[in-house]
Amino acid sequence: MSGAITFDNVSRFYGDVLGVNRVTLSIPPGITSLVGPNGSGKTTLMNLMTGLVRPTRGSIDVLGVSPQDPERLFKIVGYSTQFDSYPRGMTGFQFIQSYLRLFGMSANDAAAAAMRVIERVNLAEAANRKIAGYSKGMRQRIRLAQAIAHDPRVLVLDEPLNGLDPLVRSETIALFRAWAAEGRHVIVSSHVLHEVDSISDQVILLANGYVVAEGQIRGVRDEMREHPMQVVLRCTRANEMAARVFGADHVVEARLHADGGGLLIKTRDADKFYTMLNHIALDGFVIESVAPADDNVNSLYEYLIGGEEPTR
Amino acid sequence: MIGMWLSPIGSVVRLEMKKTFFSKRGLWVYLVALAPVAVMFLHSMVSLANGEERRALAAAHPTSAAALQSIMPGMTVDEVLERAGEPFDRVDLGRRGVFRYTDGRDAYNVNFFNNQVARVTTRTRDTIAYDSTIFATVFQFFYLRLAIFFGCVGVFTNLFRGELLDKSLHYYLLTPLRREVLVIGKYIAGLTATTVIFCTGTVLQIWALSLHFEKSEIADFLNADGWSHIAAYVGVTAAACLGYGSVFLAAGLLFKNPIIPAASVEVWESLNIFLPATLKKVSVIYYLQSLCPIVAQPDENMNRFLKLMINAAEPVSAPVAIIGLFVVTGLVLLLSGRLARRLEINYSTD
Repeated sequence: MSGAITFDNVSRFYGDVLGVNRVTLSIPPGITSLVGPNGSGKTTLMNLMTGLVRPTRGSIDVLGVSPQDPERLFKIVGYSTQFDSYPRGMTGFQFIQSYLRLFGMSANDAAAAAMRVIERVNLAEAANRKIAGYSKGMRQRIRLAQAIAHDPRVLVLDEPLNGLDPLVRSETIALFRAWAAEGRHVIVSSHVLHEVDSISDQVILLANGYVVAEGQIRGVRDEMREHPMQVVLRCTRANEMAARVFGADHVVEARLHADGGGLLIKTRDADKFYTMLNHIALDGFVIESVAPADDNVNSLYEYLIGGEEPTR
Repeated sequence: MIGMWLSPIGSVVRLEMKKTFFSKRGLWVYLVALAPVAVMFLHSMVSLANGEERRALAAAHPTSAAALQSIMPGMTVDEVLERAGEPFDRVDLGRRGVFRYTDGRDAYNVNFFNNQVARVTTRTRDTIAYDSTIFATVFQFFYLRLAIFFGCVGVFTNLFRGELLDKSLHYYLLTPLRREVLVIGKYIAGLTATTVIFCTGTVLQIWALSLHFEKSEIADFLNADGWSHIAAYVGVTAAACLGYGSVFLAAGLLFKNPIIPAASVEVWESLNIFLPATLKKVSVIYYLQSLCPIVAQPDENMNRFLKLMINAAEPVSAPVAIIGLFVVTGLVLLLSGRLARRLEINYSTD
């Protein structure tokens, strides 16, 4: 069984409407975020890798299994969809237990596994209530429980943090990290950038059905030479510091903060800049903090797609 | 292999059973199944009331069947009164007149013209044989071709199409369930529901129709060929659900709008008698009509379309009909399995 999820020149059209086009990807283990505005193709990509839709062109491989082979695929894949509908009249417990029985589990094993996973998503108290009466966040969690109930190696989660309160959100993110640390694939879609920024090992940026960038956020950022890196520096003698750094040929701009206590520096070579900064520090400047200002998904999106920025 | 399939099929059936029996969308199926029961019940109640009335009239105006049957055209009013006594009702229309008699069982109208009997009309009490023919006609014309047919449209097309509309089909498609297993599980659930609903309807119709007969008449009928007729009707009902169910399950996978396939199949089934022998066998009604214990007889007053509808196809033997039905069902289910394998979840366009 191979260790990656691969898309080879995959396109999907819904009649004349483009879902995704010419997608070639290799997704390694860890947390991978699919980022893009509504309609950019995130859900289509997830539906393609779980076989809910078939590619019009190209091929997909999920750890050596074709998405058109559900009997094998869903033993290793769990998918939490955005579809907010459930078999009528079911409680949360029945929902998960019935789902597990479709995997061939006995009633007792399915019940035990259902309870375990419901506890894991903190829904134990509501397990015997009908899902129809659940809040949005609870429904999100029961879907999450469904996706992880059979302990899959690949988790595909469509907007999994939507509707969660801050506490549950941080617990859920911790859960993602734990799964990723175990070497699983956790593929998360989101249009909320700061969320993705904090949890992802790698990102796939989508716009209008095309993959516009992929990889680790910093790596993607480094490849965008036409947009100088921005660094925020808080230091003493900011005026003198500005004069020193501006002398370097890779620095294209050094702007003083309004309070005079810092600088915004734009450089074409981050490595050279940080080396230079070490030398400057030795000359008696007190540098309180150095922080990159635009190696996050938000900036990437702005640079790559311009106006089509997702929700912040 | 079969063992591997049984457990997930059982899981699907359990999940589907509640939906197929108690879906709000399917409430009309119960109405369609039970509508003829109400008609048969009403018929029995009217017959019972008529019987009571005739017995009361006969008690007040006693006469005998033999006396009434001896009245012949050409007799005078006096001769009639001498033989049959005073009627319970007289209608005087000048040169014409009517004497109405009953012997407590049948009703007789003696029509006069110029004080002589012109003709005698008799309305006999319904017999089981007569009601059996009525039942056979209702069963073949209404129950098989319309009630069960459209009931199966409602239940079986919804097994997949309904879930696509409810956006809940992905629940199954996110499991390692063979799509063929899903098809079989859903089919069994739909078949169970329709068979229970429509077979109950069939039995209740027969029961309702028997209410106005004497116990001894019913016992005689059952001891003759009654039980085998009832079993045959229940069997044909179940077979209709089996055959039509498979067809409309496939239709639900193929079409977004079930009206189109339903209308097409209805036309195909109605045209069955015109089809060449080979094509006749590719229909459900061909086998069902061959299994019915009584062939419905078209009434001479029936319009041509209705006659066409109840006309039996050239019958085949029961074993051939049953095997043929299973073969057609099996083939359609195989096709459904293939269709299900290519099924996509694209709720936005459904």
